[in-house]
Amino acid sequence: MADKLTRILYVEDEPDIQMVARLALETLGGFTVEVCSSGDEAIARAPAFQPQFILLDVMMPGMDGPTTLKMLRGLPQTASTPVAFMTAKVQPSEVAQYKELGAVDVIPKPFDPMALASRVEEIWASCHG
Amino acid sequence: MANPAEELQEKMRVLREAYALQLPEKIQQVEKTCAAYQSSLDEETLHTLHRMVHSLSGSGATFGFTELTRVARVLEEGLKNIVTRKSPPNDEEFAVFRRQISGLRQAASSADTPAYAPPDFMATSPAPVEAAKLLYLVEDDVELAGELALQLSYFGYQVRIFNRLDEFLLAMKTTLKVLVIMDIGFPGDQMGGINAMREVQQGRATLVPVLYLSALDDITARLEAVRTGGRAYFSKPVNIGVLVDKLDELSSIMPPEPNRILIVDDSVSMANYHAAILEQAGMTVKVVNQPMEVMEALREFAPDLILMDIYMPECNGMELAGVIRQLEAFVSIPIVYLSAEKDMDKQLSAMSLGGDDFLTKPIKAEHLVSSIATRIQRSRMLRSFMVRDSLTGLLNHTAIKDQLEREVARAKRQRTPLSYAMVDIDYFKKVNDTYGHPVGDRVIKSLSRLLKQRLRETDVVGRYGGEEFAVIMSNTDGPTAIKVMDELREAFSRLSHLVEGNEFSATFSCGIADVAHFEDAIKLGDSADKALYEAKHAGRNRVVLARGKH
Repeated sequence: MADKLTRILYVEDEPDIQMVARLALETLGGFTVEVCSSGDEAIARAPAFQPQFILLDVMMPGMDGPTTLKMLRGLPQTASTPVAFMTAKVQPSEVAQYKELGAVDVIPKPFDPMALASRVEEIWASCHG
Repeated sequence: MANPAEELQEKMRVLREAYALQLPEKIQQVEKTCAAYQSSLDEETLHTLHRMVHSLSGSGATFGFTELTRVARVLEEGLKNIVTRKSPPNDEEFAVFRRQISGLRQAASSADTPAYAPPDFMATSPAPVEAAKLLYLVEDDVELAGELALQLSYFGYQVRIFNRLDEFLLAMKTTLKVLVIMDIGFPGDQMGGINAMREVQQGRATLVPVLYLSALDDITARLEAVRTGGRAYFSKPVNIGVLVDKLDELSSIMPPEPNRILIVDDSVSMANYHAAILEQAGMTVKVVNQPMEVMEALREFAPDLILMDIYMPECNGMELAGVIRQLEAFVSIPIVYLSAEKDMDKQLSAMSLGGDDFLTKPIKAEHLVSSIATRIQRSRMLRSFMVRDSLTGLLNHTAIKDQLEREVARAKRQRTPLSYAMVDIDYFKKVNDTYGHPVGDRVIKSLSRLLKQRLRETDVVGRYGGEEFAVIMSNTDGPTAIKVMDELREAFSRLSHLVEGNEFSATFSCGIADVAHFEDAIKLGDSADKALYEAKHAGRNRVVLARGKH
């Protein structure tokens, strides 16, 4: 039986999307969400926050999602934490490519705020199934 | 506290508004960055531009800008091509980008919907139509009560008889909504009925509507009647026609036909969203996504109102309104534009081309529903003067013929059954000659009422002229139509018409044609007419089905 998911690290550079996702995850999912606006910030804050799950935007200025993932894997606290990408590109080939990079799933953007939390729960359940 | 889903909905609304406010600025940045890239052809600028567009496509629909997401995606694909092929765009490609950016601007000014908010959170649900068909008849004269109840039942009323006041008072303790017909004099108490009603009305927020019957016609009784909620006062013997008129008025027994809205919008999601809102409010909606298909939909669907997007490919809303207005049959149909256009001049020019009104997107569900309902109500009233027969309120000759053409076209296309009935009151001239025209009119009204009340809501009833009526029964084949019309014939023949203490009854003959046997509305109408003639010839007071040609 998997632990209950409570702590999510969420990396996204767009302030308005940040806000919606955070609201959706907190209000509907009841999660504790740590929001970072860049890959650098995520790497700085992840060790202390010790997330159970990480949501990563793919396309960010500076360090992009895949690079951030690599860096996070280098940290002991997040070496094996499940990560899902969020992106507007959802070609099947790309999904496979992201999974190869070590993501457990891809959440397409734009997402439905009403369904985001349950989608995250689903992914969480599937990687502990 | 509201549940989390509602709470999120509310917060989303705030966020949507904020997002919408920022959009023009964001798109302007896209525009500037694109211009900067064109003059510098600098790769870093291209990446920035790509990222900006990417983020628009990834966020738009989340905030209800589905169209924005769609346009941004197309633009993003183009930019991505440039990124991967590593050679800058030519002038032509830049022109395409610029056009797409202006498409973004347009999409940004049309927040279609709170995209992911299910309509049922927002829309006003219709007030439940309460068919106040239940009547309490309180009358100590058992025979009279039975006779009245029978007559009233022909008009679709469900009557419960009370011969004693105490039984009635007991029943009223658990009854909220009912219409009461109350005799005033009871054994032992000349004003028993009024006293009972006084007791009933005590402590009620809204008075129970009551119609009094009385053998005595004096001012004191009438005054007391009014004081206890009396809406009408009838002296015995009661004229059933007048009584039913009053009952109809009080109970508004006929539920209004649902409003029919034709939505013309090239955006499928937007059209469906608006359709869902209006349907929730009890309206019947048809959606057309191809502006060029609007004519066919107009003819067959016969909407009460057209709700139209202003910016569409092929032809825009204003041009389309112009075309619709050229057709005589649709000169008076209300056309309402739904658009993000806030520019007053443009709004006015849209109106001058035949639009009636302008609703600005985004619009709240309840505003959409109420403004459309009001416009339809107004236009229906005006139209009713043109298409309704003044005596009966039924469709007039022209209107019923128009309707028949539409219904036949639909039945042929959908391969569904349909029957058309022509009805004519027997020896009507004799009624007029014997009792006078006012009595004749009352007989006509009673038949019209009977047809309206006993037929389904989907059946269309018209007064074809004089004592002749027409009924269009959709989804009904010939044999079923015969059964229905024969029951009506029976019911009508049992009605008694009262003239100065004399009673008489009337009958009708009916001819029916089934659409399966005839190719068009004209042949169908002619055949029903011939069948009616046959019914008359065979002795009247009967229903005849037209023989098919094959």
